[in-house]
This record gives sequence, C-alpha cells and structure tokens, in this order.
Amino acid sequence: MTLLLASPALLLIAVVFGWPMLRYAWLSFHAHSVLTGLEPMANGGANWLRLAVDQRFWLDAGQTARFALISVGLELLLALAIALLLHQRWRGRGAVRALTLLPWALPTTMMALGWRWIFNSPYGPIEVLARSLGLNSLDLLSTPSITWLVTVFADVWKTTPFITLILLAGLQSIPEDLYGAFRLEGGTPVQALRSVTLPLLLPYILLSLLFRLAQAFGVFDLVQVLTGGGPAGSTESIALYAYFNGMRFLDFGYSSTVMLAGFLLLTSLILVGTLLLKSFGVLRHIDP
Amino acid sequence: MTRGLMTRRSLLIALVLIWSLGPMLWQLLSSFTTAEALVNDELSFWSRWTLNNYRDLLITDPPFWRYLFNSSFVASLTTLLTLMLAIPAAYGMAKLPHRLKGSLRAAVVGAALFPYVLLFLALLELARTFSLGNNLIAISIPYSALSMPLALLLLTAAFEALPNDLEDAARLEGLSLSQRLRWVLLPLIAPASASTAILVFLFAWNEYPLALTWLSRSDLLTLPVAIARIAGSSTYSVPFGTYAAATVLGAIPLLVLVLVFQRQIVSGLTNGAIKG
Repeated sequence: MTLLLASPALLLIAVVFGWPMLRYAWLSFHAHSVLTGLEPMANGGANWLRLAVDQRFWLDAGQTARFALISVGLELLLALAIALLLHQRWRGRGAVRALTLLPWALPTTMMALGWRWIFNSPYGPIEVLARSLGLNSLDLLSTPSITWLVTVFADVWKTTPFITLILLAGLQSIPEDLYGAFRLEGGTPVQALRSVTLPLLLPYILLSLLFRLAQAFGVFDLVQVLTGGGPAGSTESIALYAYFNGMRFLDFGYSSTVMLAGFLLLTSLILVGTLLLKSFGVLRHIDP
Repeated sequence: MTRGLMTRRSLLIALVLIWSLGPMLWQLLSSFTTAEALVNDELSFWSRWTLNNYRDLLITDPPFWRYLFNSSFVASLTTLLTLMLAIPAAYGMAKLPHRLKGSLRAAVVGAALFPYVLLFLALLELARTFSLGNNLIAISIPYSALSMPLALLLLTAAFEALPNDLEDAARLEGLSLSQRLRWVLLPLIAPASASTAILVFLFAWNEYPLALTWLSRSDLLTLPVAIARIAGSSTYSVPFGTYAAATVLGAIPLLVLVLVFQRQIVSGLTNGAIKG
C-alpha cells in the first residue's frame, strides 16, 4: 500500500533519469545522424573508437575537470570565510545573510550575459578601470588562456552562497561549550579553527564538495551563454560538446556517446576521490 | 570586543556585500544608461540617463512581460505537480521497511546529485515522439521529475520526524488514510512543504537546457531562454542597455521571492543536503 503511494513519483524519476541512460547506451552503438537519414543504424563500437581518439573530447574533459575542481575549491575557501563571518553575532546579520543569497537565486543565463557586459572589451567597466590605471586592454573574453578564469569567477560568484549555507548549518551544529573549553586551556582562535571547527565541519564540507563537483562537471548554461565555448574552444565543456554534436551537427549517435562518457568520467572521478579520502583516513569519523 | 576588531568586521561585511550585490547593481545602473553613454565615457553626467531601455522591452514582439508570464506559469505548474506527487510518495517512503527504504533513498540521492543537463538529448527525443515540444504544460512534467529527488528527500525527512502516536490516534478515531493525510499530517509538514515548493519554483524558473530544446516558438519562451537569445546575436551587437533592463525586470520577482521566503529556502537547502 505504501509502496503504491510512492510509485508514481518513483516511476517518474526512473523514466526521466533512467531512460536517457539506457537510450544513450543503445544509441552509442549506432550511427544516427544526417548521414543515415536520421535513422539509427548499428555501427559496432565505431562511436567509442572515435571517442577514444577524439582530441576535442579529451581536451574538453580536461577543461571540464579543471573548471570543476578549481571553481569548487575556490567556492569552498570563500564560503568558509563568509560562513565564519555570518556565524558571528552582530546587528543586521539576518539581512546580510538574505542579501548574500541573491546571486544563487538568479538564472545562470541572466548573469552570464551580465558578465559579458562587465568583462566586455573595450567598453565594460573592468576594461575602463584597467585603462584608467594605464594598463593595456585585457581582452578577458577573447584570450584563450584567461577566459576560462572568467567562467570560474562567474561560477564562484553564483554558487558560493549555496556552500556558505551548508557550512553555516554545520557551524550552528557545533556546541559553543567546546570553544569555551578550548579557550580555558589557552587555545588561540586560530588553533580553535584548526582543531575544533574544521574537524567538526568536515562532513558538511565533503557533502557540499560532492554535490557541487557533480553539478560543476555538468556545466552548460554558463559557458553556453557567456563564451559559447570559445575563444578557440578553450571553455568548451563536455556537456556543451555533446550539445553541439546533437543540436548543431545533428549526430545523435556520437552525442549520446559523449554524454555517456561524461557520466562515466564523473562517476569514476567521484569514486577515486572517495577512495583517496578513505585511504587518508578522512572518512573514518563520518557516518555513511 | 575591541574597536579595531569591530571596524575590521564592518569592513569584511561591506566587502561581502559589494561582492554579492555589486554586479547586480551594475546591471541596474546600465539599464538606465543610454546606448551612447555605455560606449562613451566622455558624455556629461546629465545626458547619460534614459528610460528607453525599458520602453524598448515593452514594444518588442512578443512584449517582455510575456516571458515573465510564461516563466511564472511553468514554475507554478511544476511546483503544484511536484508537491501533488511528492507528498503522498514521501509519506509512503517514510513507512517502508528499513532495507527497502535504504536502497530507494540511495537511488534518489544519486538522482539528486546527477548533472541533469546530460539527459537533455533523450528527453528531447521523447518530446518529439509524443509531440510535447512548444507546450508549457508538457514541459512541467520533466521539470517535476527533475525536482522530485530533492522534494522526496525533504518531505520524507519531515514525515519521519513526526511521532507515530499522532497518526495512530487519528487512526483510532476512525480517520481514513486520505483524511489522516489531509487533516492531521499535511498541516504538520507544512514548513517542509513550503521549503520544497520555493526550491522547486526557483529551479523551474531558472531551468535552461530543457527549455532551450523543448521551446522554440518565440511567444512560449521562458525567461532564461528569452534572455539568452539576445546573446545569440554577436558579442559586439548585443544591445547591453536593453539587455540590462531585461535582467532587472526578470530579477525583481526572484529577489522578492528570496527575501520573503529566505527562511524556507535556507531550511530547505540545508535539510535537503544534510538529511539526503
């Protein structure tokens, strides 16, 4: 009876999350593009062989991993600092907490275009500022070695509030007495941070890391609107490459292969990360 | 606390606020700036300002408020559909035997973590097969499915936190399952439902890849897609003033929502992450 109540919702999840994966697995062994008249035709492992030597895919995979690791790393550091500040008691704290949440709530595409204006060369405010300081044009959005940092910046701006919230909840779960005891024994605030706060915050840190890494690995909205994957493909992510294959080149067989490969890469990244943490003994104190 | 520490803290708070709000305020400023002043900083202060960017939004075809309406419609419908399915499902899941519940929950957590953009191609195929494209009602079905994992985690946790005696007493009073849900349990999980509702609403309002592929008729676009379409023109011809006005109008409903429902959002996000 109770299972019956749950079944419509669970069925919907199974169809919308499960079916695509099965379909991709099947399509990845078929040619399905304009060349086959948009009909699937079995082609053995040709898609996977193509993927194995597809330099663009591996470049994108590296870029996606770089984007995800660096964005989430910076977000974590910044969120920790902001959470420590917002955890202290001071007047107006509630209002500031609400205001810092705003970037998280806006659609990614909206601010992505906003950033395009702010980093615009030569008219955006950053360029104007650089000029008034006597610097040369920065060309932040058209220099392959730099533009990916702009995407990292935009992601950090938008999703830091999410991690801040999780860490704030963690900070609130630490009993005040612990700090009192620590002070009585002559510990400094910095030592308290290291030996009380951070260890107790660890489950919250790992949790937000896991969630954010998975989401950042699927980055799409931001790069599609902010850079379109450019310049010279330097900000193209796996999801964007799959999107181009499907919607621009109408190659559904290969697009499916790319998405499935992206999913497998992400899963193995998370597995390796978990194993590493385990082997360093970090997960020992945490309930599964 | 010493004076020096307090000034240092005020300084840090100011920095955090500038970081969070600065880019948005810049958009606000740009939205009132004339196209010429955006590219020419020599103009005198008094000739820089205009309301034309906002006027331009109202005379486009379709007018801008149409996208606001589409987004509100899709987000409301998605929220309603998700809650209607998730509340009974969460009740059912909370009552399942321990082992089965554990494995179902693991699957739901996995789905909540999944970067859903990877699903878009197969979902688009389904939309084509069943003629669901360009339909604001139809798109709320995948939206509900995508929000379902978080909704289930939040609501199951809420049902589990209720004492069993309460429902037993209602059962002894002769209330049927649907009566118990409606009159006893639903009011008790209202806070969790409110948190779920606001998070689902925000997700549907902001969703991009599915809206981009399912909706192509210009009068049916949701806000994120309509705004991104402006970017479809080349980098140099993006009408940034009009665009900034669009972001301001599009952001206002969200800003109001976040400020009003701040508490629900915070408890939803933290509970969703921690209990999930």
